[in-house]
Amino acid sequence: MRKFFVLVRKEIRELLTPQTIIPLFFTVLLFLFMGQVIGAEGEKMSARQSISVLDLDVTPASEAIPTVLEQANLKVELYHDASVDAVIETTKKARGTVVLVLPEGFEKDLAASKLPQIEAYNILSGFSFARLQAGVTGVALASINESLSNKVLSSVAPGTDPQILKNPIKVKEHVIVGDKMAVTSLAEVTGFVMAQTTFIPIILFIVIILAATMIATAIATEKENKTLETLLSAPVRRTTLVLAKMFAAGMFALVAAVVYLFSFRYYMESVTGGALTGAGGAAMSQAIRELGLVLNPAGYTLLGVSLFFSILCALVIAVTLGAFAEDVKSVQALITPLMIMILIPYVLAMFLDINTVSPVLRYVVLAIPFSHSFLAAPNLFFGDYRAVLYGIAYEIAFFAVFLYIAGRLFSSDKILTMKLRIKKRPVLK
Amino acid sequence: MSEVLSVKDLKKNYGRFEALKGISFEVKDKEIFALIGPNGAGKTTTLRLIATILQPTSGIVKVAGLDIKEDAEKVREAISYLPEEAGVYKNLTGEYYLRFMAALFSGDKKEQAAYLETARAIANLGERLGNKIGTYSKGMTRKLLLARALMTKPKLAILDEPTSGLDVINALEIRNTIREFARTGTSVLLSSHNMLEIEYLSDRVAIIDKGTIHDIGTSDELKAKYDSANLEEVFAEVAR
Repeated sequence: MRKFFVLVRKEIRELLTPQTIIPLFFTVLLFLFMGQVIGAEGEKMSARQSISVLDLDVTPASEAIPTVLEQANLKVELYHDASVDAVIETTKKARGTVVLVLPEGFEKDLAASKLPQIEAYNILSGFSFARLQAGVTGVALASINESLSNKVLSSVAPGTDPQILKNPIKVKEHVIVGDKMAVTSLAEVTGFVMAQTTFIPIILFIVIILAATMIATAIATEKENKTLETLLSAPVRRTTLVLAKMFAAGMFALVAAVVYLFSFRYYMESVTGGALTGAGGAAMSQAIRELGLVLNPAGYTLLGVSLFFSILCALVIAVTLGAFAEDVKSVQALITPLMIMILIPYVLAMFLDINTVSPVLRYVVLAIPFSHSFLAAPNLFFGDYRAVLYGIAYEIAFFAVFLYIAGRLFSSDKILTMKLRIKKRPVLK
Repeated sequence: MSEVLSVKDLKKNYGRFEALKGISFEVKDKEIFALIGPNGAGKTTTLRLIATILQPTSGIVKVAGLDIKEDAEKVREAISYLPEEAGVYKNLTGEYYLRFMAALFSGDKKEQAAYLETARAIANLGERLGNKIGTYSKGMTRKLLLARALMTKPKLAILDEPTSGLDVINALEIRNTIREFARTGTSVLLSSHNMLEIEYLSDRVAIIDKGTIHDIGTSDELKAKYDSANLEEVFAEVAR
């Protein structure tokens, strides 16, 4: 064990270079910066938006519209006796985005049950605010429609709540998971669980790619710099060499993952405006708890063990692939198969339910050790501990087999003689 | 003198290519034994096999009585290997590199301190040991690596082209160090293209070509046998 830690210390010292730390630091800064910017934009979106209204009718019906809009949390700039062009110009100068024109005869048409035509002018000054602008127009028109239809319904059926006429049924939605049930909507449950677990595949993906690249590069560098020969002639077990490299790369990747996780959460909270942790989140948490869709300590432990062995599997594959590398340049090409292996379950888990796809595809996916980590969280939510345990057992078996292969590879001539050079094909003239 | 290294009918194939076709020789206690031969003769393969980083196809190699196949780990404790154009960890300091290697050879702090003291004396880099190896010149790097190879006072030091690419002063310093260590008890197996170096350093020389040892003897014996003025002429005669 002593030599193992001597090697780990040396590996970590080699990894801690400006070349590895600066990108990590830069990524964190980028997340924080993006979080700040998007958070600020979010605040803008939630702030009271202004809207210009040109009233060409000037009747009690048209004069009621600004009040309706104010009630919809819009700030109204009201114009009379002006041309449409003039109002648009003024709105442009005031950096406004929407102009509503209430036409002459607005009240008369309403009374005659004709459809009065309101004109909406959207001033587009950039695409980043286009969604916000569309939201303002939508809110304005919906609130006018709501108010007017309420008036019409009240006159047609006096004494009856217009809401009952518009929505004559009430829905109480239930979600059932196993033998547990909660009063909530399916969309909200899936949205909440997804939001809580989104980071798992993302972080796993980052850790695996980072650790695999690091370890494969470390081996390729040792081969390229011819330091590996010295190390192989030192009194150290070959498996100790392999494990020390894996441990150091794994530790570094884990630290990077934690840093990424915190900055990513900050970013997500900035984007969602703290929706995950806010009051709405608390209400949802209650429903989620009633449904048992929370991880207990045993669940968290199993998820952690599954993630841990996934990382080990990636590291041991990367060690094996790194042994083929002749130089650092060939590393990227060599770890491409590993990246594809991670991408398959990552992408499929996002769009498909692995348990319901065709058996061939399911077995292909399950043969990839990382799939079990991607599937662990949903399986644990639904109490399928057996599937998670099988997955962990498979990951351990996979790791043991590849560790044996890596150990044999480092104990044989192949570590020095096996080469895979990525060459460009000559262009025929 | 007792044998530190014994090589008997050593063969090594890379696929169908026979790199070594059954070579035999031995290195005695405190002896400097040199392998000379053209590129691709099998020198580096021989050294790598004895350093336990390649597996022999057949034959018996014993270092201090230990078989390189059966007792590879114990053999590694008795040897040190300096590969040709060996690289360094550019991000580590010279001092850290020596400490790291010392810790691999011994768990005893006092012994590690003794290794370091020896290494500092051999490397003779002074304050520069505290700098990153990436900032060293070729000569400084080679001296650091030689210091690493000899600091444990191994029974057998395997040195592949120890002065390759170095200027006269650095090469001379390294040769003197090797001689000094051989006197104090470390046997040396080295390879070189530099015949003058071989003549100056070696007690005995083996001439190897195309995986076969053609002759073994002292420089004087070989020069007399082939009626040559120096080893270069001996080498040319044998190779012909």
